Amino acid sequence: MKLTGAQIIMECLLEQKVDTVFGYPGGAVLNIYDALYEYRDRIRHIETAHEQGAAHAADGYARSSGKTGVCIATSGPGATNLVTGIATAYMDSVPMVAITGNVNLGLLGLDSFQEVDITGITMPVTKHNFIVKHVEKLADTLRQAFAIAGSGRPGPVLVDIPKDVTAQLCEFSPLEKLPARAELPLPAEEKLERAVKMLSESRRPFVYAGGGVIASGASAELKRFAEKLDAPVSCSLMCQGGFDQADPRYLGMLGMHGSLASAAALKSCDLFVAVGTRFSDRVTCNAEKFGRNFPILQIDIDPAEFNKNVTVDFGLRGDARRILHALNQRMEGGGHREWMERALSSKKRDPVSQQPENEEAVTPHEVFGVLNRLTRSRAILSTEVGQHQMWAAQFYTFKKPRTFISSGGLGTMGFGLGAAIGAKMANPGKKVINIAGDGSFHMNCAELATLSRYCIPVIELVFNNSTLGMVRQWQKLFYSGRFSETDIDGGTDYTMLAGAFGVQAFTISEKSEIEPVLKKALGLNRPVLINCLIGKDVNVLPMVPAGASVEDPILEM
Amino acid sequence: MNDQNEKEYILSVLARNSPGVLLRIAGLFSRRCYNILSIVAAQTENTAFSRILIVVAGDDRIARQVEKQLEKLVDIEEVSILKKDKAVVREHLLIKVERTVQNSEKLIGIAGVFHAGILDVSDNTMILELTGDADTINSFIKLCEPYHIIEILRTGSMAMGK
Repeated sequence: MKLTGAQIIMECLLEQKVDTVFGYPGGAVLNIYDALYEYRDRIRHIETAHEQGAAHAADGYARSSGKTGVCIATSGPGATNLVTGIATAYMDSVPMVAITGNVNLGLLGLDSFQEVDITGITMPVTKHNFIVKHVEKLADTLRQAFAIAGSGRPGPVLVDIPKDVTAQLCEFSPLEKLPARAELPLPAEEKLERAVKMLSESRRPFVYAGGGVIASGASAELKRFAEKLDAPVSCSLMCQGGFDQADPRYLGMLGMHGSLASAAALKSCDLFVAVGTRFSDRVTCNAEKFGRNFPILQIDIDPAEFNKNVTVDFGLRGDARRILHALNQRMEGGGHREWMERALSSKKRDPVSQQPENEEAVTPHEVFGVLNRLTRSRAILSTEVGQHQMWAAQFYTFKKPRTFISSGGLGTMGFGLGAAIGAKMANPGKKVINIAGDGSFHMNCAELATLSRYCIPVIELVFNNSTLGMVRQWQKLFYSGRFSETDIDGGTDYTMLAGAFGVQAFTISEKSEIEPVLKKALGLNRPVLINCLIGKDVNVLPMVPAGASVEDPILEM
Repeated sequence: MNDQNEKEYILSVLARNSPGVLLRIAGLFSRRCYNILSIVAAQTENTAFSRILIVVAGDDRIARQVEKQLEKLVDIEEVSILKKDKAVVREHLLIKVERTVQNSEKLIGIAGVFHAGILDVSDNTMILELTGDADTINSFIKLCEPYHIIEILRTGSMAMGK
């Protein structure tokens, strides 16, 4: 069967069971878009307002479904607009394949119109990338791209294809069956036994789970592990929902804005079991002070994460789900009643909460409380980056993996709305709400046009304090209140703006409006923007100030 | 980087000859702030692969990190840290020195002691070559210094496990 390069791309997408892609057309991808037209009954293309939105949508699609997300952009600026989205996916180990067009082979390297060396540019932010100069190699390169993106520690892969390669004809032989993904072997028996010994000898074990638990589908094994070990559990930002937060063992998030109960458990544990996590500086806060008082047992698929940021006493390399399963089989049930009581008592004593400025003032704590109740903890929340992101993690009760979609590693403002579009496409039956701040909202608000155009029922919930709240919080703490460039009240009329995009808008300005507005928005099966007005000085607390130990958060400022 | 634990490590890397593979390796070192002291790359007996020898400065933890991060690159087949006492280490030197009537014989003498080759003798210059470990080459250069060195070309370390 002779096909054009562009048709081969479509066939390869179908082989990988891709039914939705996100992108934006342009000169170098004309052939690809022509093929998309031909395959439109089998591959749905969502055109975002900006390529960055397409990359974030592919990312949100992947995070919320576990499948590999796909985005397409043209050469030059189209490709560079993907870069922030690719870097976001790279930092959070999200499987993604980005396809970019490039200028014709003969024009490469001549500073041609809309030419950019996108493989050079994305080298540090992709797991791997390719430029395909021969149409005969196109199918296998795309297959390899999907295999790399989805295997081991997942990540984004970029495939750059010059325009003439997408037009050339080539014999295409379809793949009979996708090859099975090679599974990493379990660690050797003596290593597992050594870990079991560490676990059984511990009197005060503390389990800390990261994004790897979600990536490997290890939630059920993690729950069994925590029960068998009889230990309290904390999660990183990336693992929100990876462990049921309504479970009594759950102590809250750990890190710069973690719960007091997590910090207390860290202070007094005698074994720290880290599963699928990379000890980011937002978790260790001060890496030198981290783990001085307890041994660390780390389980990770990437051996480069052992002893990278903190020194680990023992590392087990492999897939978190399979290793936890193996440990669960080998472990005797332990009883740590006293330790559990102690860990949980600090949870009761110090619930994370917020005091309103006055009786009518809206607090994020209360908004999330109502949202949690109305959605019965079953919604998918995507976020932008800043205070609202931390409040979402602190106050919503995530019970299932792949329900909290947030840029943890790169901290990309402007991520959430695109990601919500992707999450909704992957989960049409679930409520999807993007939690935003007014700063992040302004970055990529043009994606409201995408919501409207495809009538994607995402709720955009903007916590509007007319300031870049997280930066303001730091300015308050460390720059004696010199609020340089953080007040951003430019007089945006949110209702008019939403209306201009064809999106219905609501405002929450006082407490009594929280429930009726959220109820109404959740009941409408269409895109909605909620402008939720909150005070400038609602802070994210607890907080570990720069340089301090993560064991010593501050509670007020 | 004057840490007392700082040592030199020789990494032997077997990489597929894909476009940009050297750039990927160099990029990894640069963005992870590892220090390359020297790098030598050449095709192996199998033309699909290159052998790349990298000398890095750091402590044991850094060397292990470099090894593991390199192993994650898709085009890299194999990485090993070579121990100096269990490997043969060689560098190659080309050196151009000013030649005068007075110093010709002295230079030829030095070359003789080191078993260095004389590649070119021109009116006012002489090009010598030497293969050896870093210490030998350093000593040779030191002895040539008084005779006015015009140009030096020196490869990084090539190393092969015994």
